[in-house]
Amino acid sequence: MAASVTSVWGVRVLSKIIHGHLLPAAAVRHQTVRSRFLHTAPVSSSAVSVSEEPDVLYQRLSVRVKGHDKAVLDSYEFFATLAAQELGLNLQKAFEAPKHIDKLTLLKSVHIFKKHRVQYEMRTHYRCIQLSRVTGSSARVYLEYIERNLPEGVAMEVTKTAVEKIPEHIQKPLWDDGKQETPSQ
Amino acid sequence: MATSLVRQTKLLSIVTSQFNSAACFRNIHCTAACLKNRAARIRVGKGDKSVTYEQAYHPHDIGHRKGWLSQHTSNLQGEDEAAERVVEDVFIRRFMYGTFHNCLADEVVIKRRGNLLVICAMMIQKLLPSKFYFLIGYSEELLSHFYKCPVKIEMQTVEEKVVYKYL
Repeated sequence: MAASVTSVWGVRVLSKIIHGHLLPAAAVRHQTVRSRFLHTAPVSSSAVSVSEEPDVLYQRLSVRVKGHDKAVLDSYEFFATLAAQELGLNLQKAFEAPKHIDKLTLLKSVHIFKKHRVQYEMRTHYRCIQLSRVTGSSARVYLEYIERNLPEGVAMEVTKTAVEKIPEHIQKPLWDDGKQETPSQ
Repeated sequence: MATSLVRQTKLLSIVTSQFNSAACFRNIHCTAACLKNRAARIRVGKGDKSVTYEQAYHPHDIGHRKGWLSQHTSNLQGEDEAAERVVEDVFIRRFMYGTFHNCLADEVVIKRRGNLLVICAMMIQKLLPSKFYFLIGYSEELLSHFYKCPVKIEMQTVEEKVVYKYL
C-alpha cells in the first residue's frame, strides 16, 4: 500500500533528523557503537507487506505519557508532535493533564519520637497527545517510533478508538420488518 | 511539696521569657534531638572538606537543583514493582563501588529504558584505560547474567574529583 511505503521511508529519514537535533551527541555515538545489545530488527525495504484485507481505521489515537520531570515531558511532547507533523498525521490536541501528588508521612526516628515526622511526596506529571483519523499501519509505525525513543523514567499509555462497520444483524431496525413478527405467548 | 508535673519545655520557656527582657540573651535549646534533618547532608565544618555538587545540595533540592540518580517508571502513579527496582539499584551501586575500587568520582546514575539497564559512572583516571575496559566488560557480562537483561555501562573519566565547594 502506498501509504505504508511512504510512512516507512518517512521514519528512516526522520530518525536522522531527530537524532541530530534532539538527542545529545553521546547517546547518538553510543547507539551506533553498542548496537549488539539492542537487538533491533533490520528495517529494509523488503519489510513492507501488502495484504488484501482492509486496514483498521482509528477515529482517535490517544498517547498519554507520565513522568516525574516536567522538562523531560516537555521535550518529549515537542518530539512526538514534530514526528506526527512529519508523518502527515492530524494532531488533534496536545495538552497537559493536572499532576498527581502522592504524599507519605512517616516517623523520622527508628524508635520513639512520635512528634517528629518526615513527609515525602511523589509527583506524577502527565501529557496527552491526541491524533485523529489515523490508519492502522500509520498508527503502528508512529507508535513504534515513539516507543523506541521514550526517555528513561517516562511511562506511556496508548488508547486507540477504532471505527468498525455495524454488524449485519443490527444493520436494519427490527420494527421495519414488523409485519413478519408474531408475538410469543 | 506536691507540685504538678510541669513539662521541662514549658518551665524553661517561662524562665527564658523572663530573662529575655533583661540584658541576658541566652536561649536554651530544649526540644528533642530529632528535630534536625540529617539525611544525605554533609555538615558544615572548618572549610577543609571538599564536597561535590551532588553532596552539596540537600534532598529537598531534588527536582530543583539536582537531578535523579536512579530513573525508572515504578514510582509513577499506577505503576508497581518499586521495591524490586530499589533492591537492584542498591546492589548495582555496591557492585560498582567495589569493582572500581577508589575510582568513582561521583554517584552512579542508573537508567532503565525498557529492558535495557544503563549505568552511568564518572571515574578518576586512576587505572590504565585497558584495565578500565576490562572492568567495564566484566561488570556488563556479570550484571547482564545476573539480571537477565542487557546492561550497558557509560563511563566518563576525569583527572580529579570535581570539587563544588569546601565545607
